[in-house]
Amino acid sequence: MEIYLPIAEMSARWLVLLGMGATVGFLSGMFGVGGGFLLTPLLIFYGVPAEVAVATTASHLTASSMAGAVAQWRRRVIDFRMAGVMLAGGLAGAWMGVQLFAWLRKLGQADLVIAAGYVILLGSIGGLMLNESLRALRAAKSPTPPPPADRHNWIHGLPLKMRFRTSRLYISVIPPLVLGVIVGILSSILGVGGGFVIVPAMIYLLRMPASVVVGTSLVQIVFVTAMTTILHSVSDFSVDAMLAFFLILGGVIGAQYGVRAAAKIQGEMLRVMLALLVLGVALRLLYGLVISPRDIYSLTVGTP
Amino acid sequence: MKHAVFACIALCALAAPAEGEDLVSGLSQDQIQITSNYAGTDIVVFGAIESPASAETASARDVVVVVRGPDTAFAVRRKARIGRIWINRDKITLYGMPSYYFLASTRPLTTIASAETLQRYQLGLANVTPKGESTRSIRKGAPFREAAIRIRERQKLYAQAPAGVEFLGYSLFRVRVPVPANVATGEYTAQVFLFRDGSVVSAQTTPLFVDQIGLERRLFNFAHDRPFAYGLATVLVAMLLGWGSSFLFRRQA
Repeated sequence: MEIYLPIAEMSARWLVLLGMGATVGFLSGMFGVGGGFLLTPLLIFYGVPAEVAVATTASHLTASSMAGAVAQWRRRVIDFRMAGVMLAGGLAGAWMGVQLFAWLRKLGQADLVIAAGYVILLGSIGGLMLNESLRALRAAKSPTPPPPADRHNWIHGLPLKMRFRTSRLYISVIPPLVLGVIVGILSSILGVGGGFVIVPAMIYLLRMPASVVVGTSLVQIVFVTAMTTILHSVSDFSVDAMLAFFLILGGVIGAQYGVRAAAKIQGEMLRVMLALLVLGVALRLLYGLVISPRDIYSLTVGTP
Repeated sequence: MKHAVFACIALCALAAPAEGEDLVSGLSQDQIQITSNYAGTDIVVFGAIESPASAETASARDVVVVVRGPDTAFAVRRKARIGRIWINRDKITLYGMPSYYFLASTRPLTTIASAETLQRYQLGLANVTPKGESTRSIRKGAPFREAAIRIRERQKLYAQAPAGVEFLGYSLFRVRVPVPANVATGEYTAQVFLFRDGSVVSAQTTPLFVDQIGLERRLFNFAHDRPFAYGLATVLVAMLLGWGSSFLFRRQA
């Protein structure tokens, strides 16, 4: 059964779209990540134009992080003030990213930047995660106490301090703002929520309590991806609502099974698997950049 | 249904005064509607040659059918290897290229007419040329033009069928025109040329409209006419679905 995607201007099997959404939803439920880093490349491999893939994934992330944020909100583990500060940066970043994206499209380099950005981002994060979780797996066998965390770092020397009660922090607003900007740019150019960047940054850089981190990052992702979706709709008409609908529907179903599956697997093992998955996607994209293309010419309809 | 149409044309052909060869042609449908489950279709261009047809006159005449989509611009880019990766380097924009081009003929084109004649009527993929180019250098543009045609052929949007005109008897003919799923919307033209001894003796043009209808069309229009509202609506639906799913999840957990 084929459906016609009006913005991507192609017909696709709706079962495939539902399946892709479900697969990504399953993995994101299992690993507790948004899954944008998987969905965008998957859509591109399927033949969806890169810019439509990026913009439409943003709306998928709005839905999936919304589901997560509601669950966290019930447990009252969201630092709204921190989310607000990061969001201010995030909205600015999303705006900058969409401008940058439009410019890259005009130059004909959007596909390259998307692919190269993914290779760098996923390669480094996958590598770090694999390294860390392998070390943790080994450490679990021969227990040695971890080095005590340094309570004070360079972050505490910055001005414009603000009190974040829920996180029990009194720090400068500059690091969360900058973090927000980075994630906003990533979201609008690569179509990722950026959870795998903010979560470690909030834990290791801002020293937020781990219990607050997930809910707070989810709230910020909901609004940044929502903003990205709107900006892409306005600036380059690349959001395909039909595509988004099927992806979200699949994602919502998949996520539930993912959460259940995660409960049955050992935590460290889960992280090794996620790291390998991330590295795999990075390698596949790198391969696409270095192999000789079948045709060195490419064609875009219209004058972007 | 189709037989009835042919019968009608045959009658018309017989009724017409025999003042040399003339052409009557039509389309199986004058409108293609792209709906949600559109996966490509075929249209039929049919026609009749009004002439006292006999075996000997039939052998010297040829029919060429061309279906063209609305003109558009193509940005053609060439990749170059920089370091280890392939990067888009040179770009040439071709203005006024048909978004769709299908040609069917009774014989290979070069055996029907001279190169000049074919070029004058833009017949054949070799004669599909842009109305303007972003480069002044003809030599520099040539590989880009060839690439554009090659890529459109691969996308099944340009095609040439040297034996695509099917004759039913001496006077009736028909051509099956494949219209793939990825065609542009707009006004198409179906041109039928009748050749005798290498020159055009009659030609006819019929318009054909390709439209998106239903939900897809409305979404497309919405996205382009009111992009902000469209983005906002998409986001709200996404949020609602996400929010709703968290309820579903709680009930099951």
